[in-house]
Amino acid sequence: MRLSPAVVLSGLALVLGALALYPFVGTGYGVRAMLQVFMWIALAGSWNLISGLTGYVSFGHVAFFGAGAYTGAILVASAGWSWPVAALAGGVAAALLALLIGYPCLRLKGPYFAIAMLGLNEVLRALVSYFEGLTGGGNGLSLPTLDATRAIYYVMGGLAVAVTAMTYAIITSRFGLRLMTIREDEIAAEAMGIDTFHHKLAAFLLSAVGPGIAGALTARDQGYIEPISVFPLAITVTMIVMVLFGGKGTVWGPVLGAAALFVIQEIVWARYPYVHPLLFGAIIVAVVLLMPRGVLGLLQLKYRLPRTI
Amino acid sequence: MAVLAVDGVKKSFGGVTAVNGVSIALEAGRIYGLIGPNGSGKTTLFNCITGLERIDAGRVRFKDERIDGLRPSQVARRGIGRTFQMIRVFPELTALENLLVVTRGPRPQAERRGRELLQFVKLERLADEYAGNLSYGQQKLVEFVRVLMTDPALILLDEPAAGVNRTLLNDLLAAVARLRDEGRTILLVEHDMKVVMGLCETVFVLDHGDKIAEGPPGIIQADERVIEAYFGR
Repeated sequence: MRLSPAVVLSGLALVLGALALYPFVGTGYGVRAMLQVFMWIALAGSWNLISGLTGYVSFGHVAFFGAGAYTGAILVASAGWSWPVAALAGGVAAALLALLIGYPCLRLKGPYFAIAMLGLNEVLRALVSYFEGLTGGGNGLSLPTLDATRAIYYVMGGLAVAVTAMTYAIITSRFGLRLMTIREDEIAAEAMGIDTFHHKLAAFLLSAVGPGIAGALTARDQGYIEPISVFPLAITVTMIVMVLFGGKGTVWGPVLGAAALFVIQEIVWARYPYVHPLLFGAIIVAVVLLMPRGVLGLLQLKYRLPRTI
Repeated sequence: MAVLAVDGVKKSFGGVTAVNGVSIALEAGRIYGLIGPNGSGKTTLFNCITGLERIDAGRVRFKDERIDGLRPSQVARRGIGRTFQMIRVFPELTALENLLVVTRGPRPQAERRGRELLQFVKLERLADEYAGNLSYGQQKLVEFVRVLMTDPALILLDEPAAGVNRTLLNDLLAAVARLRDEGRTILLVEHDMKVVMGLCETVFVLDHGDKIAEGPPGIIQADERVIEAYFGR
């Protein structure tokens, strides 16, 4: 089962073309839903870069989303920046935060790193609530009204494409293979001359940029943010579940996971609002028990597909 | 001049002294053996040399530079390669990727070299198989050639013969001799005395963390302290 590159590329072009035209024909609800899917692809794909490839599970990845959201919102609301530039600044802020946090925390072994990241998110949320002058504290931060949903749709879509393309480039490179050796056997990787710490740090930085930009875009789109809306643990958990469902360490796993779970979530949310959290828990348990590699990981193993699916 | 000089290296874990002030010196282009009963500190000494364990006292010099205190990857980059007693291939990377991943420089060359080495250990047909799916012996060979990909000046082999069949073993030993002829230095831990006798010019014997003997294998085998360490008094 091998598809020629030409077939794959034309298929991709077709899908992207349809998505580009969609805002002109779709309903308001449909466009907003797609925008959400793009956001989740960017978030899940970014989480996959650090956690899927190196095996260092980040339980606080929403921290980068929140940091980007506040950076972007403050720059727009207080400094009067235009939102696209503020969104880029959100990505930069998230990367700087990753550098600051990664330096001490990536020296920790797996489970300790996971817990440290969880703590980071709580600390950030507390800090944002505390510095009321800048952030509005618990009252939140309102942005000047602006209807830019269609423009944000394209930028968020571009972000999802960029994260996925970056994942492809990394996975097919020796840099990507080296990241995987950290997951496979960190001690052997070190003994073979792979500077595991700096590789983890690089992956961590790359994995922070996407959520940072996505956070700033979301802040602009919603026009209002508060600490509990941009630093919830639920966002991290959702990213993780999406990647685990689709297939960690693959290119298309996060895309598949984001799309599939978003659709499932929308359906269940509309019909049975109260069992919605139950559903996520059930999916986690089912995935871990039945297909720990996720859908694509399973296919990959069964049909000997390349890692680049 | 010694390529590697281990000088009074000590390492304890809690109250257990694993390596107790061991000194050894390795000359370039020779094969050395490191033997001793189980638990005598052979693997710990390997770990002290390669930076996987931080030493408590002493010095490790490689090509006249102190390497104790460096991270394992820094030690490896200076030209020390090793294999592990318990195989440590990267199971979800293919055999070829296992070799590629440790290389730098242009990828096509690295890939060609990797395929050559796999051919050398007769694994070329399994190049694209996940290393985790290979047999124990095959994984061992992948690990062995992976070390060669980094072009190390000093190679530490932890029980290269264990679990490898005879025919393959002979090829492997011939390869080790050839590495020596290329000017590389080899230090190997081995329980198979035939291998040690046939290959090593000098043997170090450890017992309870102490170096109790050093010399040509023939003399070592007759050494009373060595016999005592292995068989008891």
